[in-house]
Amino acid sequence: MTKVRIVMALAAIVAAYGLYLAIAAPPEAVQRTYARILHIHAPSAWLAFLAFFVTAFGSIMWRVRRKPVWDRLAASSAEIGVLFTGLALVTGMIWGKPVWGVYFDWADARMASTALMFLVYLGYLALRRATPDPQLRAARASILGIVAVVQVPLVYFSVNLVRTLHQTPTIRPGGSPIHPAMLQALMVNLAAFTLIYIALLMGRMVVGRLEEEAASAFEPVAGAAVVPPRLNGAVDV
Amino acid sequence: MTTHALEIARHDLLVERRAKETLTVVVPFGLAALIALPMAIGIDLPLISRIGPAAYWSTSLLFGMQIAWRNTVADTGPNRDLITLLGVSPVSRFWGRAIASAVLLVAFMFLLGVAAILLFSPQIPLTPWMLLIVLLFATGLAIVATLAADITSGLSGRSPLASVLVVPLALPLLVGAAQAVESLSRGSGILPWLLMLAAVEIVLAVAGTLAAKPLEEAAR
Repeated sequence: MTKVRIVMALAAIVAAYGLYLAIAAPPEAVQRTYARILHIHAPSAWLAFLAFFVTAFGSIMWRVRRKPVWDRLAASSAEIGVLFTGLALVTGMIWGKPVWGVYFDWADARMASTALMFLVYLGYLALRRATPDPQLRAARASILGIVAVVQVPLVYFSVNLVRTLHQTPTIRPGGSPIHPAMLQALMVNLAAFTLIYIALLMGRMVVGRLEEEAASAFEPVAGAAVVPPRLNGAVDV
Repeated sequence: MTTHALEIARHDLLVERRAKETLTVVVPFGLAALIALPMAIGIDLPLISRIGPAAYWSTSLLFGMQIAWRNTVADTGPNRDLITLLGVSPVSRFWGRAIASAVLLVAFMFLLGVAAILLFSPQIPLTPWMLLIVLLFATGLAIVATLAADITSGLSGRSPLASVLVVPLALPLLVGAAQAVESLSRGSGILPWLLMLAAVEIVLAVAGTLAAKPLEEAAR
């Protein structure tokens, strides 16, 4: 757990610096100070995408190697991905109300597809919870983990495929149109969120291993039902 | 492989014809949902007519997916082993199940469609395009629901869990079908929506085919 604490401490330092930069950055020309919430919203969304790719990677590796650690990686990353997706949705709604006039715009491809992605991965976690046998759980969840990742690029590129309210990617190859101070704050916050993701992932994997060990400690071993014959008057020693 | 898939589909439909689970359970349940909606809205005939197509597609999705995990096709271990020992590949088994579910879904949606027209009087043109939209929707839903039925096979609380998996994955089908009908009634082009339905269908078909063998192993 020491490594987790080190990464978490590092994440806290970078996040504090990111928060300072987000507050110190100039207000956006049109959205004014509302735009500052994007320093949480955008990194959350990016980390959600990364988390679901890691889930798919863990699922593929489990199918190839059949080692519990890969399943643990997939499950842990999916849990954190759902957390970040929820955070991206909530912060998007908080920002959307004053800027767009609504909390949730059904006509917006990015919002609708993100909500859909959130539901799919909630289903993934529900499937894991409903399958008590670890081997069976890993086998079934790995299939869903691989199938579900197909939608992630669709969610990301939805703003390019369908012209909707949501803006197209701000950070793109060949330069970014935003103010350098805002870009710097965004990149520092992205680094902070990435560190938070790594710390949470490491911590969750440790907890997952402990859970597996605790569960296996109570599993009956072969021959547990066989007891030696007891003679009359015998006492336990 | 095709012969095996068609044979499994024929067998499933035969069992369904005898058990009549879809006809006696799923269809009445779907009709009850269609009747409950206008009652919840109240006496507003133009509104009821306007939401008719939406009620039809939602009911088709939420109740239609139950067809894929009807009790008559619930696989027991010995049954699954027998099919494997007969030399039937998991892919054939998957497609056989999906084809049978698609046939039942089309029948279910037809009955539901008649009820929706009678209950809601929606302003939609009944052209052959409608049949194609229903076919695409039913096939896609059958594939995704069969996939979910296989993933949740043998689990306790299987039905709600499978629903949680199917609904988000089937929402693109719902959007495509509903928007295609909307475009049809407006007189605008439906080709983009049909292409979207077809694309989703292809992705689901590829996922189902690739997942069939691993799911067969996971069920043991």
